[in-house]
Parts: sequence; structure tokens; C-alpha cells
Amino acid sequence: MLAIELIAQGLIQGSIYALVALGLTLVYGLLRILHVAHAALFTLGGYVGVLVCNASGNLPLGFFCAALVSGLGGVVMFRLAYQPLLNQPPYVALIASIGLFIASEEAFRIIFGAQGMSFNTPSLEQQFSIGGLQFKLAELLVMLSTAAIIGVLAFLQSRTRVGIACQATVSDPQMAQSFGISLRQVRDINFFVGSALAGFAGVWVALLNNLVEPTMGSVPSYKALAIIVLGGLGSVPGTLTAALLLGVIEAFGTIYLGGILDRNAIAFAFLIAVLMVRPQGLFARS
Amino acid sequence: MNNTASGAPLLKVDHVTVRFGGLTAVDDVSFDVHEGDLLGLIGPNGAGKTTLMRSIIGVVNPTEGKVSLGGESLNGLPIHQRIQRGMSLSQQLVKPLRDISMRDNVALAAASEKTLSPLRALLNVSTERELAVAQYELERVGIASMASQSPSTQPLGVLKRLELARALALKPRLLLLDEPLAGLNSQEAHALAGTIAEINQQGLTIVLIEHNLGEVMRICQRLVVLDNGKKIGDGAPRVVMADPAVRAAYLGGDVLGAAAAEGQPTVEAHHA
Amino acid sequence: MNYEISLLTTMAIAVMFALSLNLITGFCGQISLGHATFQGVGAYTAAMLGKAGWPFLATLPVAMVLAGLLGVIVGLASLRVRADFLAITTMGVGFLFVGIVRQQEFLGGELGISSIPDHGLGRLGFMALALVMCVGVAALSMYIKRSWMGRVFNGIAEDEDTMRVLGIDVPRYKLAAFAMGTALAGMSGAFYTYHLNFIGAESFGFVESITVLSMVVFGGIGSVPGVIIAAALLSVLPAWFQVIGDYKLLVYGGLLFLMMRFSPSGMAGLAMRLSTTKLLPKEGRS
Repeated sequence: MLAIELIAQGLIQGSIYALVALGLTLVYGLLRILHVAHAALFTLGGYVGVLVCNASGNLPLGFFCAALVSGLGGVVMFRLAYQPLLNQPPYVALIASIGLFIASEEAFRIIFGAQGMSFNTPSLEQQFSIGGLQFKLAELLVMLSTAAIIGVLAFLQSRTRVGIACQATVSDPQMAQSFGISLRQVRDINFFVGSALAGFAGVWVALLNNLVEPTMGSVPSYKALAIIVLGGLGSVPGTLTAALLLGVIEAFGTIYLGGILDRNAIAFAFLIAVLMVRPQGLFARS
Repeated sequence: MNNTASGAPLLKVDHVTVRFGGLTAVDDVSFDVHEGDLLGLIGPNGAGKTTLMRSIIGVVNPTEGKVSLGGESLNGLPIHQRIQRGMSLSQQLVKPLRDISMRDNVALAAASEKTLSPLRALLNVSTERELAVAQYELERVGIASMASQSPSTQPLGVLKRLELARALALKPRLLLLDEPLAGLNSQEAHALAGTIAEINQQGLTIVLIEHNLGEVMRICQRLVVLDNGKKIGDGAPRVVMADPAVRAAYLGGDVLGAAAAEGQPTVEAHHA
Repeated sequence: MNYEISLLTTMAIAVMFALSLNLITGFCGQISLGHATFQGVGAYTAAMLGKAGWPFLATLPVAMVLAGLLGVIVGLASLRVRADFLAITTMGVGFLFVGIVRQQEFLGGELGISSIPDHGLGRLGFMALALVMCVGVAALSMYIKRSWMGRVFNGIAEDEDTMRVLGIDVPRYKLAAFAMGTALAGMSGAFYTYHLNFIGAESFGFVESITVLSMVVFGGIGSVPGVIIAAALLSVLPAWFQVIGDYKLLVYGGLLFLMMRFSPSGMAGLAMRLSTTKLLPKEGRS
């Protein structure tokens, strides 16, 4: 019984990780930038979601606005911070990203206060029982929506011109342009989609914890960095698998290894262990 | 230089095969290089010449077979150790260090003894000897007048000579050149080929990959021809180029090159 | 007077720490996102030995050796992975360190180690020693830069594949950089322990690692004077900006971002550009 509970917990947490990591892998695969500021878009989504939902009473609207605002925020970040720095060595964009990240967290704190905000009327709290396990509706939905989104993304990536072009820009920028889509458009799209996903994930976490606070983005984003390495850069299925796997391993690890490592360290212990055995990552493409 | 002086070859490529997944890039190739040789490794595009050179240098490891330098096997050795054993490579894509002068670039190569280990490098500050060696090599390749300049503003012809000077500064027993004439116009190519021949006459063993058959015929004493990974010719240039198998391989691809090899007038030799 | 002495000591420790990272990242081009770990190792070593009765000065070499040893291990691990994974691997090491230390009671667990015995040098004496060691590290850095080791490092940072073709044992040099940089970080950690009389695992986490990296990049990666000034300034930024108080992190993040955006080679780059523009009017432009 315990094992199944842990697996379920792990999958729920893993779904959140997957949503955050997907955005990151789209960016990293494309630009080789460690987009630490991705965390800020996650948090931004959470705040927007809560604000809109509290103001309008409409949760789906909250989700939609969060995704939209985060998506646009991501494109702005790209234009402001990364695009001008593409010709510089990679650490420049990294530090710029770190600067943005710190400033953003602080901005949230100054504007919204350090205590955070909650939903006026928490929703999706209904309990369901499946196979003897208790789930909140929110937990079920986050898994389902993640699955749906991944499915759509994978389909778009492999079947549509835009999607294939996006994949191509990772390995062969020139070829992408032959699809009639400019490099700039591909990058904008990638940032928009990836950031929208992070914003979307932010609302889910806000729902699950009934709290959104300025620093909530950091831990998921750090782990997302580990996940994208494990999952293989730019690979949607790889990232999903790595994210879910990590969620489950964390769930088990906290119980069994809790005496030696704390929760966050488990993710990275897993990462380092994998990299020592397979230096190219779990699902590296040739 | 007398090719048959010593019995043992300086470089021995012994039944080397290189496979990548399903593709066989180099197929059971063997040849010897003796001290003093100036050997040209030629063949149509995709014949496996670059892969073979990479297996000699150590960028890839042969799937089968062995490469030996001075009688010692190189198999499994990392690149830097092969270089330390007396080989040096002038790369096709010239990549000098951009933030130091051309002289300093060559001096870094000349410092190979001091840089053998980090500790030794830490304990050595003086650059006098290396700068002198650098100046000497830059003179040898004819660009000493620009020694203090930065490589980032130089034309390709100068960069190719810089790359050669760097390789020479390592004082190798065997010099490998990967398409040293690529991208040069016919005048520049002719001049650089002449420099290479001079350096060989001064006693250095050289193996080069080159598409510019006109120059290759002129300066090489011996050719090894690859096609589709296999060796299809090995011997004196005129003899090799007269071989029907070789001509077929080339006429299948590089018509101009084959014509140049025959000494027929051509427009500029074909470049990749 | 006490306040100024304390401030200077803080600055000296920060400069030592930043210069030690400069060896790894600035000179040798290896991006480390986990450098605070090695300061942590030195700090905890000094703390444990100090509480066991060792005099402060005796803890210094042990702190350096242990930090350096771990540095070599991490360095060996980093050699196995691809260059862009190095950053994430070092980040993982950082989280692992914090995660493990927090769970070990004998290391103080969540509460850390307090009541470190006095170093016996007096406030002024301790500060003087810190400054002396700091100058020593700076002098060592300048020496390395002028030696053949520095020239090789520079080459590795720019193009390590070409360095291999020049006969350089690149892995060994990278390890040397790691060993020296981490050992010196360990030394700064020992000073840190005795300066604050209290240490906790969270003082050596990801935020601290990216802070010291930002100092190095802000100062101008590889530039010894640049890094010294940047570390000195940024380490006491909270003190300078007490007036702004609440906004100091926002300013910090903003500064980082702006510096990267407009002068990626940091303060050293700015200084170079300013000095050449001053010369030009005299010589006249073409």
C-alpha cells in the first residue's frame, strides 16, 4: 500500500516538475542557456492565477491569464536579456539570468509582500478515492492536464512545420530557416510556450498548497535544471520521463534516505549518480 | 632524404579499420611512412582520409588494427600523449587563440617541455627561449614580420602558415597536415606547397591530406590513395595516377583533379 | 572602529573566496555553480577542529587539504561529463553538500555549529591575518597568470580541443585548477568560521555559490584586480545600502543584469574601454 501511495505522490509532484522542466528544456536545448530566471515566470503565473481567480471567481480564466502573462513575460526576457547576449560566452547569459531571477523574487516580495497570497475560495478540493488511495481533485487534474499538454506538444513537435523547425533549430539552425520560419520566430515561440507552461504549473502549485509566495519558484527550477540534463536536451518525452521518475524517486527517497539526505539533495544525488554512469544523460540522443 | 635508410618505418598504419555504427569509414588500410618521406594521402571526397588521419591523431580510435609511431603502438593513447611522443597536426580549420599575438600562439606550442605537467608549468615563468623558437618557426614559414599581430585580423593564407608554424614549434618527428592548401588561391597554394616541400627537405617527415592534386603531384614523393575507405593505390605519384582503378575513382568524382594530375592544363584546381 | 574592522575582515574573506573561484572559472574556464561547497567544507572542518581544541592557525592547512581533496573528486567527476553539464553537476554537488550536512547531527544538523572558540588573535590581528592571506592569494593569482600554467589555462578556457592537439594534458590542468581553487576556498571557509563564530549549512548553498560567481563575472572573469574590487564592493553591499535597506537585493540583481547586458567582460572590460576612449582623442581618430 505504501509503495503505491508513494508512486502516486511522486507522479503528482513529477507532473509539476515536468511542466516546469519542459519550458526549460525548450530553452536550453535551443540556446544552451541555463535559464535560471524561469523560476520567476513560474511564480509570476502563480500570482496572476490567484489574483485573476480571486477577482473574477473563474479558475479557468485564472489559468489562462497566468499562462498568457508568463508566456509573454518569457518572450520579454528573451528579447531583453538573452538575445543581445547570444554571441557572448555562456556564463554571461547565466549571470544575467541570475540577476533577473534575484530581482524578480525581490520585486514579488516588495509588491505582494513576503507572506504570500491565497485563493479566497479554494477549489478542486473534492476528495476522490481510486484504488484505495485518496486524491484531491486538483491532484488528479494536474496529472491529467500534464499528460494532455505533453501529448499535444509531442504531436506538434513531430507533425507540424513549426514543431519540426523548433526541433531542427536545436541541431541545425540553418535547416530550420529552410522551413520558412525565421530563427527569431522559433525562439520566440519556444520561450512563449515554455514560459506559459511554467506559469500554468505555478497556478497548480498555488492550488495544491493554497499559497503563492515570492520564493516558490526556486526549488522547482533548480530541480528542473537537473531534470533537463537527465532527460536529454530538447527532448519532450525524455524530459517527461525524467521528471516523473524524479518525482517518484524523491517520494521514496524521502522515506528511505531521509536520515542521510534532505529532499532536495535526493534529486541531485540521483542526477550525479546517473551522470557518473551515463555521462551523456539518461535519454541522450545521438 | 633517403627513404630506405632505416628498415623500421616511423609511422606504421597496420590494417586499420574504423567503423561508426553501420558505416565503415576506413576499411583495412595499411601503409608505412619512413623517415624523410613526404607522403600525400589522397582520394575523392568521403574516401575516409580525414577519418584515417583522426585515427592516427587519436580523435577516434580504430575499431580494428593498430597505429604505431617509432615502433610503439599508439592504440588507446589520448591525443596529448601522442603529440608528446613526437607527432603534430596542422588542422584544416585553423583556430588560433584570439587574444594573444601570433608569436605567443607559436610560443605556447614551443613550450611543450615546460607544459608537460601543471606543476612544471607553474614553476616556469621565463618565455625567452620559447619566443626565440617562435620567431624561428615564423621565419621558416615566412610570416615573421607579422609576429606581434593578433591572429583575428589575418587572412586565411597567413593563418595557414601560423598553423604550420605552431605544429613545427612542437619539434615533431612526424608532421601531419590536414588540407593545408584548402581555401587558398593558386598562387598562395603554390607558395605554401613549396614551403612544405622545403621543410621536408630539411629533414622532417610529413604526411598530408590534400585535394589540390596539382601541388600534391609536384611535392609528394609518394601517394596513398583511398576510395570508399579502402586503399587503392600506394607508390610514386605518376605511377599511382596512371593506375586505372585510381583514375576511375577520380573520374567518378574529381574530373579536374584527375586532369591536373595528368599534367593537363586546367582552370583552378577543384576545391571542396 | 570595531565595525570597520569587522567589515574589512568580511571583505578580505570574500575577496579570497572570489579569487579562488577566479582560478577555476576565470583562468581555466570551468563554470562552477557549487563553489560555496568548498568554502563550506573548510568552514566545517575548522569548526569541528576548533571545538575539539585545535588552535585556529592549525585548522587552516587541514581545511585547505580537505576542501582541495573534495575539489579533486568533483573535478574528476566533472571531467566525465560534457562541458554544459559541468555547471549543473557542480550545482548538484552544492545541493548534495547542504542536504547531507543538514541531516547529520554530529555536524550540527539544521541548527549548525555555534560557540566556536576564540582565535586568540584579537579583532585587529585576525583582520590583519585575513588581509595578509588575501594579498597572498592575489599575488599567487597574478603569478599563475604570468607563468606557463596561466598561459595554458588561458588556452584551455578558449579552446581545449586545440590545446590537446598542442600536446597539453588538459584533464590534468583542469584538475590542478580545481585543486588549487577549492583548497583556497577552504581556507576562506576557515576564516569565515572564526569570523562569525557560527556556521550553518544554508550559508554554503546555491545562492552563495551563484553570489560568488556573480562577483567573479561582475569584476571581469579572469581579471584579478577586477575580481578583487567586485568582491570587496559586493560583499559589503548590504552595509552600503542600509539606507535603501529593503531594496538591496533588488539593486543587486539589477546591477548584475545591467552589467552583463552592457559590459559582459565586467568591470575590467569597462575599465579597458574607458581607458582606450580616453586615449583616442589625443591621438586623433582616422
